[in-house]
Amino acid sequence: MKVLQLASRNVIRSSHRTMVTTLAMAFACAMMIVFSSLMEGFIVGSERNIVSMNTGDIQIHQFGYRDDPDIYKQIEQSSELVVAIRQAGLMASERLFAYGLMASDNSSSGVQLRGIDLDFESTVTQINQHIQTGDWLDTADPHGVVIGKKLARLLDVSIGSELVFVGQTADGYMANDSFHIRGVLKSVSAEIDNSGVIMSNTMLQDLISLPDGAHEITIIRSDRNTDLDAAVQTINALVGDDLEVLNWQQLMPVISQFLETAQVQSLIMLLFTYIAVASVVLNAMLMSVFERIHEFGIMKAVGVRPWQLIRIIYAETFIQTLLASILGLLLGVSITWYFVRYGLDLSSLSEGISFAGLALDPVWYAAWSFESLLSPILFLFVMTTVAVIYPAIKAAVIRPVDAIHHH
Amino acid sequence: MESEIVQLRNVRKIYQQGEVQVNAVDEVSLSIHQGDFAALCGPSGSGKTSILNLIGGLDTVSSGQVRLEGVDLSTLSNTALSEVRKNRIGFVFQSYNLIPVMTAYENAAFVLDLQGATKTECHERVMKTLADVGLQGLENRRPDEMSGGQQQRVAIARAIVTHPAIVLADEPTANVDSHTAESLLDLMQTLNEQHGITFLFSTHDQRVIDRAKRIIQVQDGQIVSDEHKA
Repeated sequence: MKVLQLASRNVIRSSHRTMVTTLAMAFACAMMIVFSSLMEGFIVGSERNIVSMNTGDIQIHQFGYRDDPDIYKQIEQSSELVVAIRQAGLMASERLFAYGLMASDNSSSGVQLRGIDLDFESTVTQINQHIQTGDWLDTADPHGVVIGKKLARLLDVSIGSELVFVGQTADGYMANDSFHIRGVLKSVSAEIDNSGVIMSNTMLQDLISLPDGAHEITIIRSDRNTDLDAAVQTINALVGDDLEVLNWQQLMPVISQFLETAQVQSLIMLLFTYIAVASVVLNAMLMSVFERIHEFGIMKAVGVRPWQLIRIIYAETFIQTLLASILGLLLGVSITWYFVRYGLDLSSLSEGISFAGLALDPVWYAAWSFESLLSPILFLFVMTTVAVIYPAIKAAVIRPVDAIHHH
Repeated sequence: MESEIVQLRNVRKIYQQGEVQVNAVDEVSLSIHQGDFAALCGPSGSGKTSILNLIGGLDTVSSGQVRLEGVDLSTLSNTALSEVRKNRIGFVFQSYNLIPVMTAYENAAFVLDLQGATKTECHERVMKTLADVGLQGLENRRPDEMSGGQQQRVAIARAIVTHPAIVLADEPTANVDSHTAESLLDLMQTLNEQHGITFLFSTHDQRVIDRAKRIIQVQDGQIVSDEHKA
């Protein structure tokens, strides 16, 4: 029996129902491709914001520094350690922190000064490429600083504005100096956005009179596909038990768990959407079976076996699902392409969204991934296959004598 | 005497309608022979269609035996019954009952295709059968492009193309005008006389009764007379 031929003609025969069912499936498929791609974009963007903008893969601190960022809890001989880490095939950079009050002409605010190694910071993070306005730091301009976007708004300053810092040096004296703004960052993290002032670590060493050591060493793998745990073990072997070595998932546990569950959330969303679609398919196929009970009865009377009827029903569903997948893919890819390129601008809803210390970009970009395109289509096929079990069995168990006299 | 194709022995068929039991077929014994052109006659509800359904393996007996070419149909599984219907029985129904998305050729070839006939064999037999039933040149028409008479001819072609042991025709002239009915009866009579195809009708159409060589009168589920015409 030419099942596909018969099924395709049946699909065309009920063109109105086929169109409604197929469009419903295609629309759901397209929306799920867009949703999955936006979720993928959210995950990629969040990981980038965490790892590539600030945290790196691994950080080293003195034990207790993260809970109590005391200026004296330094990593001794940090430069030698950084060299050893680089020799182990990883990239590393030192950071120094200090806290105090920063004042502009109009306002003042508590700030975190972040002294970075201008030669090596760009090897571990891409924060230098994350400038919203102005320029990145320059060794030729030691008093030029880059600040967080919310801090800039709070201090009511712009590029070139003067700032005065007041704090404490490592030897207990008052630290003060004036700076000017070279650049303002895009959203990185709640901490940097609200209070971050970035400068060269040599400038900060001078300011707080702390000539040696660092508070933090940030490390990143050369190859993102290598095992993170293995990299942590390498670092542990170098530092011994004296220092705390944590990967980014340990540093940002809430975000890490949230991102891990984001994929699951996406699948759950997929499931609920397709359960709704499955009910449409189930309804359409049931109608299709009930309309043709008489016809199925005749087919069974002349010798068509139950499983052959099941094959016809499944072939009809397969054709519609295939059609819906193609349409859904075309529509979904088109919309996703727009969101990959231009993003979904949520800035009118909220100026700055942050979650567990992670600043979210107000423009939400989608990201391409094989899974975000394939999963919605696979799910669609699985759900329609499940939805059609009942109508197919219904058709298969029809008694020909009843069906022939059914009107 | 021609060989027996169908044997009914003390067949009963009881339907349950709510709390009432209806004896649709009541202790019927009957034989249909090779080459018969027989009509089960009787008023509506007399049980003639029920007898046809039992012979065709579309329904099962409550008691008694229906044998087709010596095989007791009550012993067969649903799958085996499907095989019997596919290979040994041709059906012609009251309202043509063609598959609407198939052409005349495809409808006629449908059961041959189910039997697994080769494309060449299928083509030869279908084209010859369509010519036999007077549908040469209409092979590519779909049911909705044909008259009622032409559709019933396709149904007859579908029934006989597999060379079945018997063709069971349930009120085959009920839905066509008298001219078409006469022409369909001419066709079936010719097929019976020239090709030896056995026909068993269920009918209350006097034109069919007039043409039948054997009249089996059914009333209240029982055979009240069985008359062979001279």
